[in-house]
Amino acid sequence: MNALEVRALGYRYPDGTAALRDVTFAVAEGERVGLIGPNGAGKSTLLLHLNGLLPEHPAPVAAVHVFGTPVAEPHLTTIRARVGLLFQDPDDQIFCPTVWEDVAFGPQQLGLGDAALATRVARALDQVGLKGFDERLPHHLSRGEKRRVCLAGLLACEARLLALDEPTGDLDPRGRRELKGLLDSLPVAQVIATHDLELVVESCPRVIVLDRGRVVAQGPTAELLWDEKLMLAHGLERPHILRHRHPH
Amino acid sequence: MRRALLEPYQHQRSAIHRLLAAVKVGGALAFVLAIVLLPRAAWTAYAAGATLLLLLAWLSRIPPAALARRLLLVEPFALGVALLSLLQPNGLMIFAAALTKSTLCLFCMVLLSSTTRFSALLRVLWRIRVPSLLVTTLALMHRYLFVLVDEAGRMTRARRSRTFSRDRASAWRSSASVIAHLFVRSSERAERIYAAMCARGWKT
Repeated sequence: MNALEVRALGYRYPDGTAALRDVTFAVAEGERVGLIGPNGAGKSTLLLHLNGLLPEHPAPVAAVHVFGTPVAEPHLTTIRARVGLLFQDPDDQIFCPTVWEDVAFGPQQLGLGDAALATRVARALDQVGLKGFDERLPHHLSRGEKRRVCLAGLLACEARLLALDEPTGDLDPRGRRELKGLLDSLPVAQVIATHDLELVVESCPRVIVLDRGRVVAQGPTAELLWDEKLMLAHGLERPHILRHRHPH
Repeated sequence: MRRALLEPYQHQRSAIHRLLAAVKVGGALAFVLAIVLLPRAAWTAYAAGATLLLLLAWLSRIPPAALARRLLLVEPFALGVALLSLLQPNGLMIFAAALTKSTLCLFCMVLLSSTTRFSALLRVLWRIRVPSLLVTTLALMHRYLFVLVDEAGRMTRARRSRTFSRDRASAWRSSASVIAHLFVRSSERAERIYAAMCARGWKT
């Protein structure tokens, strides 16, 4: 079973602008897929569809399926526990007074008991390398630490599909390297929307190119990103790292 | 400076800081109640209360100037209310009593909030069954106060770096637009926070 299936997904903003048109792709269980494209291509909008935050008025037939379950009203609670959405700005995502409470927020909504909750939070914090950060205050954390708290919040829900919006944006090299290592170590399916093409080359075997709301290409990362014409046509470029790697 | 006012010295570790948050909240509540219920002219009792607070302040080892600054920040509100009582007969006495009472209460709160982490305070409020809507609102307010202050700071700095005149009027105008922008951004952020909450299973 695929972790994610998107079939002919279309979306218009309330003002009528088409944001997504006929988007179709699938992500296998445990697979990491890069989602690239210029600013305003619809990457973030697409991610918001993966757990049903969009569309505001669901169509009768769901265009998105997560582990075979349609992303639609009766299943939204299950879907949102399975799909972990990492938002671009960690300050939007961390809204609790302390790190522990924030990581516990998701599982709490799932109705976990105190003991199970404590175990989950401890495990999630351990997984992202933030052991002992329980009582820290969000505004005292660095960008990279905030990102990892966000990620722990998703892992604590036992998400099996992560939808990540610019996970390495505005991180310093160390923060980026650590986050990349962390993502690589997680055995769950991941859709990574990013401008960080080197991250895509290194972490995602497959890539989807989105432009003006359409999937303009999808396939093996090295092949697509090597195609300079394709890259330039869609506001991207051939990453340097490929020049040292590609067999041609 | 703004940081210091928002979150002063909570990290210090004096005996007062280490005291259980619930004890401090209970004590502060009892103190405020007692002061409010005292007869108007109980000057000796006020003095005793003030001595107690000063003793606690000394024990907490927070620089007195910092405490005074925080107290002065909230004092205008107390003063405003007290001033109204001057209009009554025997106004001066009522004014003095009202000002003393509210100053003592405010100082008690300043002391409480300076020696207790906000998250611990919230947990106590939660446990003593303060309506959850109120606690959640307080928690969100405290969380985003810092984000907002930072954002305002960044916008003001950016504004200032492109402002070349010392004209008062234009300074006011640009502050107004910073405030307007901040308002728009905050409301957009509120929407994103809500989406992020929903994404982690928040049910309306």
